Amino acid sequence: MDTTFSQRSLGKPGFLSDLRAFWAVVHREWTIFMRYPSWIIALFIWPLIFPMMYILTARALSGPDGSGLAVFMQATGARDFIGYIIIGTTVWMWQNIVLWDVGFALRNEQMRGTLESNWLSPTWRFSYLLGHTGPQLVSMLLFITITALEFGFMFGVRLHGSPWMIGLMMLAAIPSIYGLGFAFASLVITVKEANAFVFLIRGLVMIFCGITFPVSLLPGWMQSIAQWMPQTYLIHGMRAAAFSNARIPELLPDLIPLLAFGMFWLVVGYFTFLWMERRARQTGAIGQY
Amino acid sequence: MSDFAIEARQLVKKFPARPGTGDKTAESSPVKRKFSLFRKREPKTLFTAVNGVDLRIERGEIFGLLGPNGAGKSTTIRMLCTLLEPTGGTAKVNGFDIVKQANDVRRSLGTVLAGERSIYWKLTGRENLEYFAALYHIPQAIAKERVDELIERMEMKERANELVEKYSTGMRQRIAIAKALLARPPILLLDEPTLGLDPQAARRVRELIAELKQEGHTILLTTHYMEEADLLSDRIGIIDTGKVIALDTPEGLKRRIEQKEVIRIEVTGWHDDLGDKLKSIAGIENLMSRRQGEADLWEVNMQAQNSRTAIPRIVEHISGNGTRLVNMNIVKPSLEDVFIHLTGKALRD
Repeated sequence: MDTTFSQRSLGKPGFLSDLRAFWAVVHREWTIFMRYPSWIIALFIWPLIFPMMYILTARALSGPDGSGLAVFMQATGARDFIGYIIIGTTVWMWQNIVLWDVGFALRNEQMRGTLESNWLSPTWRFSYLLGHTGPQLVSMLLFITITALEFGFMFGVRLHGSPWMIGLMMLAAIPSIYGLGFAFASLVITVKEANAFVFLIRGLVMIFCGITFPVSLLPGWMQSIAQWMPQTYLIHGMRAAAFSNARIPELLPDLIPLLAFGMFWLVVGYFTFLWMERRARQTGAIGQY
Repeated sequence: MSDFAIEARQLVKKFPARPGTGDKTAESSPVKRKFSLFRKREPKTLFTAVNGVDLRIERGEIFGLLGPNGAGKSTTIRMLCTLLEPTGGTAKVNGFDIVKQANDVRRSLGTVLAGERSIYWKLTGRENLEYFAALYHIPQAIAKERVDELIERMEMKERANELVEKYSTGMRQRIAIAKALLARPPILLLDEPTLGLDPQAARRVRELIAELKQEGHTILLTTHYMEEADLLSDRIGIIDTGKVIALDTPEGLKRRIEQKEVIRIEVTGWHDDLGDKLKSIAGIENLMSRRQGEADLWEVNMQAQNSRTAIPRIVEHISGNGTRLVNMNIVKPSLEDVFIHLTGKALRD
C-alpha cells in the first residue's frame, strides 16, 4: 500500500471541494433517512391528521346547517375553508419539521458522537448544517404534494390559482424558515435541551400567523407582533396565490417582507453558527453529550 | 517545516465550571459574571484540565501519553486536533499552528476519537469511508481506490457493505482507524484506540499501530493501559492532573525505580487495617491493593527498598486474622509501578 505522506494526496481546498463535501452530507442524510422506514407512515398520516383537527372543529362550530362556514368564507374571502386551513397548517408543519430536523441536526450528531469526527475534517463546517437542508427540503416537498393529493381526493379541495405562484411564495420563504432553523441548531448545541423552545416558536406561529383564521381578526397588538413573523406573509401569500389567483404584482406585498426576513434570518443563522463554533472550541461543547 | 511532528509549549486548557460541583481543581477567577435580572449569578470558576503541557514528538515515533481518567490526555489531544482552543501556550502540528492554521493542521492529521461512536451506524463501512473521503477533499476517483485498499487492509472485505450497526466493536474501531488513514496523514492521533475491545481485537489494533509506525507515521497514542503503552511506545509521557510529570522511554522510566523491588502478593481476607500495618514496615512504600474479580482474592503490590528484610515482616503481619497468603513474587518494576511511584496512586484509580 502506498502511504506517501503528502498534502497532494488531498484535493485542493476550495469551493468545489467544499461543494463535494456538501453533496456528501446531503447523500449521507438521504441514505440514513431512507433506512428508517417509519418516515413512510409519517409522510402519509401526518398531512391528514393535523389539519383534520381544525377542519372538524370548523365543521362542528359552523352550526347544524353549516351557515357558520358561509360567514367564515365571507370574512376570509376564501372559496374553500378546507383549503384555507390546509395552507395554514402546512406552513406551521413546515416550520415545525424544520425546527425538529434541521434544528436538532447538530445535536443529534453530537449525541451520536459523529459531530467531532465531522469537525476534524478540513471541510467548511457550515456545510454540515447546510447539507441537512437538502433531504429535508425534498421530504417537505413530498409532504406538501401528499397533502395536496390526499385532500384533493378525499375532500375535493381544488386550486383556483397557479401552482407556480404557490411555489414562488414557498421558494421565497426558504431563507427565513431555514435561517431560523440554522440559528436554532447552533443554539441547541450549546444549551443541549431545546424542546421548550420548539414548543414556544411553533406556539407563536400557531397563535399569531393566522394558520386557521385571518390575522385581521386578531387584536391590534397581536397584529403588530404578527407583522414581524415571516410565516404570516407566507400563509397570506400562499392563500392569495391558491384561491384568488394572485400573480406576482399582487403577491409583492407578501414577497418583499418575506425576502427581507429571509436575508435577516440567514445572516442571524450563519453568525449564530460562527458564534457557537467558536464557543464550542473554548468550552469543549462539541464533545459533550 | 518544524523538526518536530508535534510541538507543544506550556499548553493550558481551562474550562468554566460552577462552584459546588465537587470539582477539587476548580479555582476562583477574579472575573465576575455579568449582572442577571433573574438571579444572582455565582462567580465564574475555572477548572484546569491541562496545566502547562510541554511535548516535542519526533517524526516517525510512537509517543504514548499515559495517565488515569481525567488526567488531561483527551483534552490535550482535542487541542492538538483543533477541536479545542488552548487557554494558554502554543502548539504546532506538522509545523502548523493549531489556532492560526487550524485547517492545515486538520489536513495533516488522522484522528481517532470516541472510537466506534465516530462513525455512522446506519451506513455501511464502505459508505462511511466514502463519506469521510469527501470531507477530506479526496478526489472521487482516488477515494474509491483508497477506500478499497483500506477495506482490504482492515480485513473487512467480506463485511464492508453491511451496516456498521451489525459490526462488532473491534470492526467498528477498524473502520474508525481506516477513516483516520483516508487522507494518508503524516501524523495520527489515537485516543484510547483499544478501549472496550476484546483481547483479540485489541491485539489486532496494536499490530496495526505497529505497522503504521513502520510505514513512517508519527503516532500520538493516549491510553490508560500500561502494557499497551509499554509495548508500542518509543517514548512515554506520564500525565497527571493536567501536567506531564515524567517523559522518557519505557525502559528509562522503569530505570527510575530499578533500585527498588516490587513485591506482589495475593491474599484472601484482605482488610484495610492489614494495609496500614504493611505500610508501617520500614522500607515499604506505595502499597496498592486491588480485588481480583468477584472472589475474595486480592492482589497487593508494594515497593520495597530491600525485599529480604521486608518479606519476613510481611508474612508475619499476614498470618492470622482471617487473612491467607496465596502467592508471593518479587517482580520486575512495570510502568504501573513507575506511575505509582510518581503519583502515589494506581492508574486505574
